[in-house]
Amino acid sequence: MILEKVIAAYSEAVFDTDRDKAFEVIHAAIAQGVTPEDIVFKVVIPSMEQMIKAISEDFDANLAQHFMASQIASQVTDEMVAQFQTSPETIGRVVIGTSHGDMHTLGKRIVSGCLRSLMIDVIDLGVNVSAERFVDTALEHNADIIAISSMMVHTARSEYGCLAVRQLLKERQLEGRIKIIVGGAPYTWDTELYNVVLADAWASDGISAGKVIKDLIMGMHK
Amino acid sequence: MDRLVAAIKGEKADRIPVFCNLLDQGAKELGLASLHDYYQSGEYVAEGQLKMREKYGYDNVWSLFYVGKEAELLGCQKILFSPDGPPNVEHFVIQSYDDIHNLEIPDDIIHHPVFAEELKCLQILKREVGGRYPICGYVTAGMALPALLMGMDKWFELLFMGPPEVRDELLAKCSLFCQRHIAALRELGVDVIVYANPFGSTDFMPLQYIIKTGIPWMKQDLSAGTQGIVYYCGGARFNQVIESIISQIGIKTYYLSPLDDIATGKQIINGRGLTCGVINDIKLIDWSEEEIRQEVKRMLAAGMAGNKFLFGTILMPYKIPERNIRAMLDAVYEFGQF
Repeated sequence: MILEKVIAAYSEAVFDTDRDKAFEVIHAAIAQGVTPEDIVFKVVIPSMEQMIKAISEDFDANLAQHFMASQIASQVTDEMVAQFQTSPETIGRVVIGTSHGDMHTLGKRIVSGCLRSLMIDVIDLGVNVSAERFVDTALEHNADIIAISSMMVHTARSEYGCLAVRQLLKERQLEGRIKIIVGGAPYTWDTELYNVVLADAWASDGISAGKVIKDLIMGMHK
Repeated sequence: MDRLVAAIKGEKADRIPVFCNLLDQGAKELGLASLHDYYQSGEYVAEGQLKMREKYGYDNVWSLFYVGKEAELLGCQKILFSPDGPPNVEHFVIQSYDDIHNLEIPDDIIHHPVFAEELKCLQILKREVGGRYPICGYVTAGMALPALLMGMDKWFELLFMGPPEVRDELLAKCSLFCQRHIAALRELGVDVIVYANPFGSTDFMPLQYIIKTGIPWMKQDLSAGTQGIVYYCGGARFNQVIESIISQIGIKTYYLSPLDDIATGKQIINGRGLTCGVINDIKLIDWSEEEIRQEVKRMLAAGMAGNKFLFGTILMPYKIPERNIRAMLDAVYEFGQF
């Protein structure tokens, strides 16, 4: 019963982009004896999954809500994980970055926050990332997914972007081991573009990307 | 210009006005090796604009080089050029809150050394087509400008989670720059100022935030008046915001998102201003000529009734084949006749 109230109050604070209120709810729950493990697995993750579901059902969330939901969830998770009795197991690992020639940062930050709150490891390579760096890092860290964010159509379609990552995965025979997901404005404007750039999947927003990536990882680990 | 004036008055010219926003394509038109070379010269940009307008027959020219120019006026030292797309801001002027405190807004934009080539471009455009074709300028709203100075994610962080006094200091400075930039363009004879504000879109922000916080800042940006101002949210949707903008700010032209419903937008504006129906120009890269023709036909059928309507594009991607640019324009010229 306590947990149901906590989820409702926390979700409302996230929806209202009210970070202080969200932390107030979480700290009050801890004071009442809810464990940090339950906060992550029974409050933060279900709340994020509720938001993902609402967005998939055409709930018209805006970018500010996506940003704050991911940042709040990620920050709460970081604070709680530090208090876990034992280190949590992660679901998988993602290497994320902005495509070659692209300096835009917001999309991958929303995705990263969302993934961290879903207990997925994230290695953020920053902006203007070469195809070689994406693939080398994914190999070095045994990542399941390469996530490429593009804000402009020419960086999405560039021969140095996703297409080059695909080519490298093919040449090194890694296509069965590492999947590519893309996202960003051009993919929203042209929902078939992910096929053109030879990605395995795409997501229409940073929060939905959490589910798409989680599903991809689960599928690979079956 | 006659077509635009007629549209503003709700009268009929031969056809609706067409704003086709070709920028980077000017380099190809001039046979230049790179966009970097093209954007070093105001003469090149003016020539590119004039040649493309002449070649395709649409109704506007641009004094805008690329959006990052505003960041350069505020100290940005590095722009990342691409062979086939718009330049990106690579050096963010604001790296810390101290940088916000130290940010200086130029008093005189017209004579600022960074503005010299744009000034040349504008003077040539004015001399060659002034009064005959609308000359467009581009100004980023005060609330959106910080994204060019510190990156969008850092700006979101400051806006929603940072110290309010730092946030407000930056907003005040960016609004001041916006006001001065608008004043400079007006002084130089720009006819149409596209006021770009993604933070005025419900895709970006909650409606209540826009009404409570966004609109007061927009009022400050536009305190010298809304003559020639076009409300544009960078391609993001804003139909839900139009009523508040009309009643509280009085802007008279709305450059919709390709994702906004044109008929709904026009219904909300309800004769109180111009509506621009905007095509999803990313799709122009792959669409067939017939698909383009049908899309233009659909858009004009939704928007032309009752006049006060024009057709527009966002910033046309470099990869759109020339035949598709022509297919789009031919369709507008055909279906856009009165």
